[in-house]
Amino acid sequence: MASTPLLVVEKGSKQHKLWQSVGVVYVVALVLLVPVVLEPFEISKMNRALTLSVAILAVNLVVGFNGMLALGHSAFMGLGAFVTASLIQDENMDYWYIIPIILIVGFVFGVILGLPALRVKGLYLALTTIAMAVVFPSLVNIEQLGIAKRTGGPNGKVVSETVDAPSYMEWLPGVDGARGDRAYRYWMIVVVVALTMLVIRNYIRSRPGRAVIAIRDHEAGAAVYGVNLPMYKTVNFAISASLGALAGLLWSMDKSFVAGQDFTFLLAIDLIIGLVIGGVGTLQGSLVGGLFVVWVRDLTKRISIPLGFYDLSGEGPLANAIFGLILILFTFFAPGGIVSLGRLVQSKLIRVIPLRPDGEPIQPLADLDPGPESTRAQVAMNLAIIGAVLLPLGWLAMNIDNLIVGVFAFALRFQILITMPIALIVGINELQAHKEGKRSDSMVGQANVARILGGIGTVFLVLFGFFHFVDQYATGFDLPIV
Amino acid sequence: MLAVTWNFDILPDFIFNGLQAGAIYATVALALVLIFKATTLINFAQGELAMLGAFFVYVINIEQGLWLWLSILLAMGFSALLGMAIERTLTRPFDPSDHLPVVLITLGLFLIVNAVAADIWSFQTKRAADAFGKFPGWVPFGWGGERFIEVFGTRLRYQTIGIWVTLALVLFGMGLILNRTKIGLSFRAVSSNVESARLVGVNTGRTLGFGWALASMLGTLGAALVAPSLGGYNPNMMAAILIYALAGAALGGLDSLGGAVLGGVCVGLIQSVVVSWLGVVVLEQAYMSILQLAAAFLVILIVLMFRPSGLFGTRTIERV
Amino acid sequence: MLKVEGLHASYGAVSVLRGLDFEVPDGEVRVILGANGAGKTTTLRAICNMCNVSGTVEFEGENIVGTSTAQIVQKGVAHVPQGRGTFPELSVTDNLLVGAYVRKDNEVRDDIGRWFEIFPRLEERKDQLAGSLSGGEQQMLAVARALMSRPRLLLLDEPSLGLAPLIIEDLFERFTALNKETGLTMLVVEQNANLALEMADYGYVIESGHITLSGPADQLKNDPAVQEAYLGA
Repeated sequence: MASTPLLVVEKGSKQHKLWQSVGVVYVVALVLLVPVVLEPFEISKMNRALTLSVAILAVNLVVGFNGMLALGHSAFMGLGAFVTASLIQDENMDYWYIIPIILIVGFVFGVILGLPALRVKGLYLALTTIAMAVVFPSLVNIEQLGIAKRTGGPNGKVVSETVDAPSYMEWLPGVDGARGDRAYRYWMIVVVVALTMLVIRNYIRSRPGRAVIAIRDHEAGAAVYGVNLPMYKTVNFAISASLGALAGLLWSMDKSFVAGQDFTFLLAIDLIIGLVIGGVGTLQGSLVGGLFVVWVRDLTKRISIPLGFYDLSGEGPLANAIFGLILILFTFFAPGGIVSLGRLVQSKLIRVIPLRPDGEPIQPLADLDPGPESTRAQVAMNLAIIGAVLLPLGWLAMNIDNLIVGVFAFALRFQILITMPIALIVGINELQAHKEGKRSDSMVGQANVARILGGIGTVFLVLFGFFHFVDQYATGFDLPIV
Repeated sequence: MLAVTWNFDILPDFIFNGLQAGAIYATVALALVLIFKATTLINFAQGELAMLGAFFVYVINIEQGLWLWLSILLAMGFSALLGMAIERTLTRPFDPSDHLPVVLITLGLFLIVNAVAADIWSFQTKRAADAFGKFPGWVPFGWGGERFIEVFGTRLRYQTIGIWVTLALVLFGMGLILNRTKIGLSFRAVSSNVESARLVGVNTGRTLGFGWALASMLGTLGAALVAPSLGGYNPNMMAAILIYALAGAALGGLDSLGGAVLGGVCVGLIQSVVVSWLGVVVLEQAYMSILQLAAAFLVILIVLMFRPSGLFGTRTIERV
Repeated sequence: MLKVEGLHASYGAVSVLRGLDFEVPDGEVRVILGANGAGKTTTLRAICNMCNVSGTVEFEGENIVGTSTAQIVQKGVAHVPQGRGTFPELSVTDNLLVGAYVRKDNEVRDDIGRWFEIFPRLEERKDQLAGSLSGGEQQMLAVARALMSRPRLLLLDEPSLGLAPLIIEDLFERFTALNKETGLTMLVVEQNANLALEMADYGYVIESGHITLSGPADQLKNDPAVQEAYLGA
C-alpha cells in the first residue's frame, strides 16, 4: 500500500472544493433520507440520538474543550426537560418562547452550580458533579414549593399537547402519513442541532473559546497570559449547562412525557460513553456519540450468541456489559474515539495541503507524488473490484435472519459509498498524471478499470438515493428496493 | 408546617444506626483511598467489585454450605486475586496523571460487573446470613443469645457492635501491615513518591497489585457485612453505598487513610442523625433518600470549598 | 565500572541525548557539566532506564539498557535524583529503611545507626516526616538513603541545587571523603562547575545532547572555554 495518501489536493483548489461539496451532499442526502427510509419507531430513536448529541456536545464543552471532569449533565437535561414540560402543560406557553427561557435557566443554574464546583480540582470535581446527577431524580419528588405538582412527582409529567406536524409542513420529506409527526419533530430537532453546532463551532474558534482550550492545555500558563480562570471556567460551564437544558427541551418535545427516572446517573454515564466513543474534543464526535449510544445499545440488546454452555444474550442485563466492554476497548485502542479512527482512514485516502500566504502550497504537491512507481492506480482498481464484489454479497446476506449477519450485510452494502467514488476519482487522477508523463504505462489499464468500475458504482449510488427519495412522493411507482 | 417536637428519646437509635452505616462506609472508603494513594485514581467500580465479592460469599456460604466466616475469608481471597488481575491488565498500561482514560475504564468495569452479576444471579434479592445475628452463648451479663442489648433507653444491636469490632480489627491489621512489613513500607513509598520508589528498587507493579488486593478484600468484607441490613444480596446493593463512601473519602481527604475512616463515619452520622432524625422530628415528613444524599454531598461541597483537599488530605501546592 | 556508548535518549518524540560515549572506571569520581537543558539530568535518567533509551550502557560488564529501573537498582546502582526525591510522607527512619529495600541481610539497622552518627541532624529528626526537613537536611537524607542500599555506583543529580553555600561545601567535602574512604564510584551531574571539578578526577561537558569536551578535572579547570562558560563570575 502506498505510504502517500491516495489523493493530494491543495487547500482551496477546485478539487478540494469538489470534495467538500461531495461531503456536504452526502450529509444532506443522509439527513433527507432518514425520515424517509426509517420506520416510525426508528425515527423516534433517531430523535433521541440527536437529542443526546446535543447533551454530549454540552459535556464536550466542559470535558473535551476545557479539560474539567464534569460527569453529571443528566441533571441539566432533566432540568430543561421538566421546566419545558411544566411551561407547556401548566402555562400553555409556546415552544418559541420556551427556548430562550430554557437557555437562560440552564445558564443560571450552570453559574450557581459551577462557581463552587469549579473551585475544587480534578477528581473532586468529578465527585461533585456525580453528586448532582445522583441527587437530581429525587429532587423531582420534593413537595415543597409545589415542585412535585409541576414535575408530576414520581409518576412523571405528561404533556398532553404533543408536537404534531402542521399541514403546511407536509412538503418536508417523511412528514406525512403514519410517521408524519415524528418526522416533523425530527426536522425540528435537526434544525436545532445544526444551529447549535454552528454556534458552538464559532464559539470554539472565538477568543473566549480559545481561552477555554488554553486552560485545558495548561492552566498555569493560561493564567500567566492573563486569562481570568474562574470567569472563563464558570461561563464555559454555564454555556454547557444551557446546552444540556436545551437537550432536555428537545427530549420533552419529542417524548411528551418526562419522569425523574429518565435522568439518573446512568444517563450521565451514557453521555460520557457517547462523548468518549464519538471523540473527545471534537464537534462531530458529539454527533457520532449520540448515534452510537442509541443505536449500538439497541443492537446489543438484540444480540444473541449461543456459546454452548452459556447463552450470551443481550436481551437481559448483559447488554450493559457489552456496552461497558466496548467502552474499555475504545479506551485502550482508540482513545480519540470514532472520529479519530475516521481521521486516520481519511488521512490514508486524501491529504489537504494548506497554502502559504503567497498562495503557494507549503509542501509542493510534486513532493507527494509517488512518481512512475505509483501503486495508486492498482489500489484504486482493487478498491473498485472489492467494492463491486462485496455489494451483491451483502445483498445476499440480507436474507439470513440473524442480527449480527444483518449488521455485516449492511456494512458490506454500505461500503460502496466510499470505495466507488474514490476509485473513480483516483482513476481519473492517475490517467491525468499519466498524460502529464508522471506515470509509467503499465498502470493505465488499472486506472481505466478503476475509473470505469468506480464510475458505474457511483452512478448506481446516485440513482439508488434518488429513487429511494422519489419513491416517497410518487405512489404507484413500482421500484425494486435494494 | 414545621411541627417542632424535639424527640430526643429516639436520638440514640439514630446515632447507633448512623454508626453502623458509617462503619460500612468507612470500610469501602478505606478501599477507595488505598487505591487512590497508590495510583491517584478513583476506582468507580469498587462498589460493584465489592458486590461481586458478596455474591462469592453467597455462593460459598449458601449454595455450598460452608461456614459464614470461612466463606467471607475465601470470598475475600478471590476478590484479592480479581483485584490484582484488574490492576495488571486494565490500569497498569495507563499514565495515572491523565485521569480520563482510567475513569472510563472503571466506569466500563462498573457496567460490566453489574450486568454480569445481574445476569448470573438476577435482580431478586437473595437472603444473606447474618454474621452478627445473635450474641454467642458464652457472653455474660445475660446478653448471650440476644440480638441486642438495652442501652441509653434504646436497643443496641449485636450487629452494630460486631461490625465495629470487625472494623477495629481491620484497622489494627492494616496498621500492622502498612507500618511493620516490607510490602507495607513499599506501598507507603509508592504512595508518597512513585519515581523515588523505583529508584530504591521497589517493584511498583507488585506493590500496586498488593494495594488493589487489599482494597478488594476490604470492599468484599464491607459488602458481606452490610448485606443482612439491606435484606440480602442484590446486584444493585452497593451503588448507593459507593456514593456515600466516595463522599466520606472526599470529606476526609482522598489520600488520608485515617480521614477515610473518619469521613465514612461522619457521613453515616450525617445521614442518620442529621437527616433521618431531623426529618422525622422536625419536618414531620420524610424526604429520606433525597435529603440523605443531598445533605451528605452538601457537607462535602462546603468542606471542599474551604479545604479543597478534604479534612486530612495533603495540601498540594502547585508550583507555577 | 560504567561504560556508555552511543547513548540516545528521548522523552516521547523529543530527542535529548544524541549519541554519548563516556565511562566511569572503578573508584573514580567523574563529573558531567553543562548548562540547563543540555541533557545532564537525562543522562543519569537514561542510565536508570527512566526514559526512552537506545545504545549501550554497560554496568560491570553487563548491558543494562532495557532492564527495569528497579532491577538496575538491585544490581548495585543508586541514584539521587534532582530535587532530592525523598518520600515526604515517610519519616526519616522510614526513608532510610526503604533505601535498603533491595538488601537481604540483617545489618540494615546497624547501617541506619551509622548514618545517624555521620549526620546527627538526621538522628534528631528521625521520626519527623521527611517533607518537613530543610533543603540541606533533605539532601543529607537523600544521600544517606541512596547509600543504604550499599551501591557500587552512586549517581548524583545536581546535589547543590537549592542549597546554601555553606551546606554545599560541607556536602561536597563528605562526597570526597566517601570516595576516598570507601572507594565508592561516583558519577555527578552538576551546574556548579567549581566545586564539582574540585572533587572529581575526570570531567565531561555536555552541550545539546553531545559531549563537547572531556578530560582530567585539573585540565578542564584550566581550559579557557570551560572557564568562560562555567567558571566565570
